[in-house]
Amino acid sequence: MGRLMPDFTFATAQYDSGDWDSAPLVPANVIDSVARYTAIDVAPTGVIVPLGSRDLFKYPLVYLTGHLPVRFSDVERTRLGEYCARGGMLFVDDHNHDVDGQFHKTAWEAIAGAVGPLQDLPNDHALYRSFFRFPDGPPTTSHELNGWGDNLVHKHLQAVLRGDRISVLYSSKDYSSEWNYHPDNKRFFSVDNTRFGVNIVVYALTS
Amino acid sequence: MTSTDRIRRARTTLALALAARALLVAVASALAVVAVGVVVDSVAGLPLTLRELLLPAALLTGAAVFASLFLLRVRGAWRATDEDVALWLEGRIPSLRYALVTSLGAPQSPAARALADEVASAPVERTVRQASGHALWRPGVVALVLLGLVSLAPPGAVARVTAPEAGDLLARAGGAARAERDPLATIVVRVSPPAYTGLPARTFEDPSAVPALAGSRVTVEGLGAGVRAIVGSDTVRATTRATTRATTRATTRASAREGSPPSWVVALAVPAQPGAVRLLGPARERLFLIDPYADSVPTARLDLPARDSVLREARGDLALAAEFRDDLGLAEGAFEYIISAGAGETFTFRSGRVAARRFDAGVRVARIAGVLPLDSLRLGAGDLIHLRAVATDRNDVTGPGTGASETRTIRVARPDEYDSVAVDPMPPTEPEKNALSQRMILQMTQELHARAPRLAAPVLQRESRAIALEQTRLRKRVGEVVFLRLGEGEGGEHAHFAGDGHAHGEEGPVDAEEILAAAERAANAGATRMLESEGDETPIVAINRPLLEAYNHMWRAATELETARPGEAIPWMERAIEALQRARAAERIYLRGRPARVVVDLAKVRGTGKERGSPVIRDPREPLDAEREARLARFDRALDVVRADPGAAADTILLVRVSLPADDRATARALDAAADALRRGGDVTAPLQSARRALAGPPVRAGALVPWGG
Repeated sequence: MGRLMPDFTFATAQYDSGDWDSAPLVPANVIDSVARYTAIDVAPTGVIVPLGSRDLFKYPLVYLTGHLPVRFSDVERTRLGEYCARGGMLFVDDHNHDVDGQFHKTAWEAIAGAVGPLQDLPNDHALYRSFFRFPDGPPTTSHELNGWGDNLVHKHLQAVLRGDRISVLYSSKDYSSEWNYHPDNKRFFSVDNTRFGVNIVVYALTS
Repeated sequence: MTSTDRIRRARTTLALALAARALLVAVASALAVVAVGVVVDSVAGLPLTLRELLLPAALLTGAAVFASLFLLRVRGAWRATDEDVALWLEGRIPSLRYALVTSLGAPQSPAARALADEVASAPVERTVRQASGHALWRPGVVALVLLGLVSLAPPGAVARVTAPEAGDLLARAGGAARAERDPLATIVVRVSPPAYTGLPARTFEDPSAVPALAGSRVTVEGLGAGVRAIVGSDTVRATTRATTRATTRATTRASAREGSPPSWVVALAVPAQPGAVRLLGPARERLFLIDPYADSVPTARLDLPARDSVLREARGDLALAAEFRDDLGLAEGAFEYIISAGAGETFTFRSGRVAARRFDAGVRVARIAGVLPLDSLRLGAGDLIHLRAVATDRNDVTGPGTGASETRTIRVARPDEYDSVAVDPMPPTEPEKNALSQRMILQMTQELHARAPRLAAPVLQRESRAIALEQTRLRKRVGEVVFLRLGEGEGGEHAHFAGDGHAHGEEGPVDAEEILAAAERAANAGATRMLESEGDETPIVAINRPLLEAYNHMWRAATELETARPGEAIPWMERAIEALQRARAAERIYLRGRPARVVVDLAKVRGTGKERGSPVIRDPREPLDAEREARLARFDRALDVVRADPGAAADTILLVRVSLPADDRATARALDAAADALRRGGDVTAPLQSARRALAGPPVRAGALVPWGG
């Protein structure tokens, strides 16, 4: 039997209600990091998968971001619930970096309706040592440190857990802005700020 | 008193006696039905539905008997003539020697006067009394005996027949004796839903599984004493007030009712998940399942605005309408909006509610309407209104449940944006042009069809063929559009499929499925290209299928026109227009911009150059059905003891039922049916087979035979 798909294809969720395509360079950047640091067989380009499509089940990790309100349609809600029940992992990042913003409020409501309520993820969770070690929990972003958005440095990520496994990982830290640059520019950083993305991918594939 | 008067009084008395007899027979008949019902119920236990019919049947029997006797006997007695009554009396008083009849025939005659003394001394009244008493005593005795029998029966046994209700199983005759041997022989479970639902309590007799709304109270009742309860599947020491989970409390108390055997009651809260209740008696234990179900959240449907839209200017009012539904009762409905303004990394938001309305108790379907005044919202260019309808239900126990409709997005156009409201008119797209042209051809055909009766055949033929020519031209244009989309040149139609009549001989409709399949194969061949899909169809299919359908409908229409039958061509043209509209709709899905596609050079990133390495074949994952296997094994163990101990087998099946995933309702129903069948006894083969099939799941189809070569 030959190979049908690579081990990992970065999938961006396309949902009806908001600007799902607000961070178009994040997929390439994470793909670059996965290729750079791991031996995972990764597809060279990402795909966009409608959240209401059965194609969702092809991808173990799906990334969802945006600035505008997140209101899942009935199909999207059902499909996402089924996806997480089957072991898929959704990574949601608030591109507003604003806990008072409408993305945050509506996304929490939509996720609770589709999968379950979000809760703080302990900073010693396996996610933070699945590849690189992040002993202090989720890495900060320049948007947090510069006081943009809600002017908070968020100590935790949030998650919906099924047992010990993360079904939905939620970030208010605005990794979508932090990682939204062309991977060729990574050489200008002393420390690659997308390393946490590798942890998310490895965790989704191995846990 | 004259002879006539005495005869008429006798007739009245006799008629009343017969009526009383009819009544007594009717009462006895009704009592007989009740008595038989009581006896049969005491021996065999009649189901509730049958018992509910018994009292009406008894009353109906009594009424029928009374009506029959009244019609046959009483009415005849009432209508009897004086002569009939006189003859009836003469037959019973021989000493009269027809004096009574004679005096009736000619009352003023000398003979009658001579017989007056004889008639006066006759014991007419006594004879009538004796006859009446004779008629009444037998049915009276029978009725009294039956009444006595019914009165002597245990009060519960009679009440089960005369006033049956769900849950009166405990009142069945012999219950005390059975309870003394086994307090768990008979149980009655009552489920009282939360007050907000307004639903009545439901009662289940000897159930295997009890469905209960979350938040309900469950009471289990039986006769006897010494019963304890354990709730949940965990092993917990039985106490008189057993608690296995924080959310579930069980209390057991034995009580003695005046005049009845002692009874026990267990009060339970409905657990969050299906759970077995284990009742422990002195001699044995018994299981039943509480199967909770949740109060559904309300559903909301936003009728107005019907779709997303773009406003040139934010003026006027936006009409709103929505419909809400809930299974138990709505509390409130409203429209919720969020206004987002900004772009890039800077967004601001405002939100609010309009047209909020509270509903009275018991309202399960409601519609609300309102307006969103756009002027007062201070909307700017590029702002977005996200609008939805929300409703809450009256659930004050586990809720309130909130339901929301799908969200509509209303956007205020930017003056400088390149969209249809802010730019110069542009020519319609090719499918739109085709739709316009098809409409014109349809109108021409309709006009010709209307004039056809008045036209000579050659004229009709000529005009019809002229329209057919236009139809054929349009069809070829659609064909070109399809083949351009499929990556072919404009001559694609000519090169690849019949339909033009030039290169392929006889014309005919295209096989849309074949062409689309070929197009998809071509799109995917030899490439790792991943097509973004629309639903379960690739864009190639989603866009081109309706165009190909339109193509075929146009071909049919042209064929009809060629034979001068414009009327038959019209339906094909209408279908072609409809297909073109669908093609336009399919295209609009892709109006939204796609982000730039960045392809990472993996070889460069990894520093591996052109070396590709060896491909790794992924091993298929192990089937994830370990839990199913465990359940099957447990079920099979239950089958082993079906003959020896059906009760234990039923309990085991219920425990398997508890371990099912919450959404596996079909298997749950099959296991409940199997457990019920085991408790009832009889042939349980079919329910057990169904349960095992449901547990085993559908058969798995192998993809293909293993190829040769190891």
